[in-house]
Amino acid sequence: MTKYIIRRLLQAIPLLWIISVIVFLLLQIIPGGPMAAYEQNPNITPEDMARLEEQLGLNDPIHVKYLKWLGNILRGDWGYSLATKRPVLQEIGDRLPNTLLLMGVAFMTTILFSLPIGIFSALRQYSIFDHVVTTIAFMGQSIPIFWFGLILIMIFHVGLRNPVTGRPLFPARGMVTLGKPFSPGDLAWHMVLPVTMLTLFGAGTYTRYMRSSMLEVIHLDYIRTARAKGLAERTVIYVHALKNAALPVVTIIALDLPGLFGGALFTETIFSWPGMGRLFYRSAERVDYAMLMAIIMINAALIIFFNLLADIAYAYLDPRIRYD
Amino acid sequence: MRTSRLWTVLSFFVVLSVVLVACAPAAQAPSGGKAAPETGQKAGEAAAPAAEEGPKHGGTITFALYQEPEILNPALCTQTACDEVDEFILEAPLGVDPDGHFFPILAKEVPTRENGGVSEDGLTITVHFKEGIKWSDGQPFTSDDLKFTWEATMHPDSGAVSTTGWQDIESIETPDDTTAIIKFKKFYAPYLALLTYSILPRHATGDPANMPKWDFNWHPIGTGPFMMKEWVSGDHITLVKNPNYRDAPEKPYLDGINVIITPSREVGKAMIQTGDIDILWDLVEADIPEFQKMDGVVLSAPPDTGTERLLLNLADPTIDATDDPLHHPHWALGDLRVRQAIQYGIDKAKINDDLLYGKATLGTSELNLGWAKCDIPVSEYNPDKARQLLKEAGWIDQDGDGIRECHGCANAKEGQPLRLKIQTTSGNKLREQVEQLLVEMMKDIGIDLYIENVPSSVLFGSWASGAFRKHGHFDILMYTTTYGVDPQAHMEGYFASWNIPTKANGGRGFNYSRWIDEEADAAIKEAGSSPDLNERKAAYQRLCERIAAGLPHIYLYDRLELNAYRTRLHGWVDNNWMDIGWNAEDWWVSQ
Repeated sequence: MTKYIIRRLLQAIPLLWIISVIVFLLLQIIPGGPMAAYEQNPNITPEDMARLEEQLGLNDPIHVKYLKWLGNILRGDWGYSLATKRPVLQEIGDRLPNTLLLMGVAFMTTILFSLPIGIFSALRQYSIFDHVVTTIAFMGQSIPIFWFGLILIMIFHVGLRNPVTGRPLFPARGMVTLGKPFSPGDLAWHMVLPVTMLTLFGAGTYTRYMRSSMLEVIHLDYIRTARAKGLAERTVIYVHALKNAALPVVTIIALDLPGLFGGALFTETIFSWPGMGRLFYRSAERVDYAMLMAIIMINAALIIFFNLLADIAYAYLDPRIRYD
Repeated sequence: MRTSRLWTVLSFFVVLSVVLVACAPAAQAPSGGKAAPETGQKAGEAAAPAAEEGPKHGGTITFALYQEPEILNPALCTQTACDEVDEFILEAPLGVDPDGHFFPILAKEVPTRENGGVSEDGLTITVHFKEGIKWSDGQPFTSDDLKFTWEATMHPDSGAVSTTGWQDIESIETPDDTTAIIKFKKFYAPYLALLTYSILPRHATGDPANMPKWDFNWHPIGTGPFMMKEWVSGDHITLVKNPNYRDAPEKPYLDGINVIITPSREVGKAMIQTGDIDILWDLVEADIPEFQKMDGVVLSAPPDTGTERLLLNLADPTIDATDDPLHHPHWALGDLRVRQAIQYGIDKAKINDDLLYGKATLGTSELNLGWAKCDIPVSEYNPDKARQLLKEAGWIDQDGDGIRECHGCANAKEGQPLRLKIQTTSGNKLREQVEQLLVEMMKDIGIDLYIENVPSSVLFGSWASGAFRKHGHFDILMYTTTYGVDPQAHMEGYFASWNIPTKANGGRGFNYSRWIDEEADAAIKEAGSSPDLNERKAAYQRLCERIAAGLPHIYLYDRLELNAYRTRLHGWVDNNWMDIGWNAEDWWVSQ
């Protein structure tokens, strides 16, 4: 097993290198380029443009640009944002905790809601409960997320008021109330709506996975055997069936985890949450090479890492799987 | 309270319906065309309801931007959002008032020939600053800071985005702390506009060679009424009253301004309704009906210097960036009569009434506002004349399909149909609707106009990226450009024959129409070589007349600068030459 992990980690190095080359090339062909922001301004003379292009290193041939970037990365220098001039890692460092907080909490509530509901819905297949859950799950997946966020704000911020204070029931934006000292309660109050939005959308998918995985297992022979032995139904379901039904769901969860670092653009935009999704979007708009490369490469590394983690978890959970 | 509850429920449905029928806005605008009584107020009127109380001290307002400033050093910033925030913190020697005239801020007076501020040859400008001005950290402001601003901007490693004007300065002398003598290498006509750039403090910045790494970039220190307290990336910037402001403690009246980032404009609209925010920045024309009906909110809608226009390509679109449009004319638009016919065929008043609720002024010229404003009459809507002109130009519909073909026209193949492409930025609802009206209007005179919109990054792409606008591969473009208080760089960039982007000049210039007019060139040169504003104004008038005659651009309507604020905010004065907070020291709140 240790050998396997080492081999996989070594394989990741050329993979990351290939990804970096492809992403770097793709960024270079984005129409407009980083100078597009200056093009419209008549006060910026062609001489200014040439000077800025030179300063930003945009005039070098692509391979020189790439080698410069690679050299800096190998020395641990991720460069500076073209737009804000701040170090790339500082920009990411400002946003990442916010994203992890929001996405982490939303991920946990999603799991907490969807797995029990999925199990229950499988056990009571074609019951009213199952139909209602299925409908809600599909609605959650098909409502435009942007629209749903606005509706949440319209109802819980604009429409409903706290009967005691007369203020909006939940805030529409940000992480904390401006001008007040920080308190965890205030932060939690600000998280209610975005977490609700993310949970509804995530839960639909997981509920469906859990349900179908459970359905598959409870019709297998060994479950019948367990029942025939006279085991209690609870033991049959939660010990024998769940352990096997959980396998594919665990894999999916592990593969979804790197997505938490990328943030959720729509949720962050609607609720003005200062997270990674908006950082990435802004960087893409400005064709901010250093920022884009950093965010994409970190994501690529995380995806590779969590894939490995999923494989390891799989071997641990399913004794039939051996990698050696 | 009851009415506001009712209102929140109503507004919920309004926004719901906006979201639902986003593609069909005409249906939900029954009050279109009717001007709201509360829009476009000037200072006195805005403050009128509480005038007897007079300004009050205290209070904090919330100003929502949907775009976050990237950086707050004015020499490095390229966004409007950063100017909007800087306006509260930093100051310049001069400002521009709502009528487009210069007024002193840090300077004692506007330098002119009469007061000895401008030498006879226009090469030496003397600026006298007000006495006793301090930076917000308590350090004295001196004329040396102006000198530093010039040095920093011109330093080759500073990364300053624009050196226009600054590069024409030969030296700045500072005989004493309140006097700066600026000597120019050559005459620079917009010298007053140069003095509207914010001053950087020498003591609170750093080495110009290191400008991109200055701490000042994220924590600017200025002489303005407010100073920065905190910037939380992606969330908010808190500004508080500057205790060292020159009119303190009388002004500013407000204790502070919270600049918050709400990336969704829809959420911003909901929040100004509930009173969570006091100022909502940069609305679009389609928002007008919603805001006209909103309780407790004033829609500020002064005209902007931007005019939405059709930019016609006079050169052969199949040739890459030709420098000789006269010998390689556009197959249809190269003929002046076709361009005239298009203008006669456009009902500009209908566009304004149907799509802009009658609030815009009709487009006539490039210079629609300010001291240099041109006086050009609105073009006539006359489809008969348009048809007549097209017939004369050899464009006749013989096959009866409603589209004219070339039968003896000047530059096209015999039988070629008059089919022209119009392009603008995709995703802009108003522009798409204008295009549809134009398609109908052109169909009426026998021109088949077809739409092919592209993302703005593609339309406004660089020469190096091969953007079709720069390289001349288009028929008609539709967009807006704006100019600052001194229009020289703008007019020269767009209309001088030496500013046609070609391979030879590396794609410099904005004369995308590839329009060549000797008289226009002469007028541009004259406007750029006189220190006398009246002489320059006359030259611009001649230039505008040449543009109206030659029609490289057809002006549709003047854009509005739309912002909204809550009625509890007093002292707001519309001024499209500066940013919203240009008079923030006079703002106060009534509750």
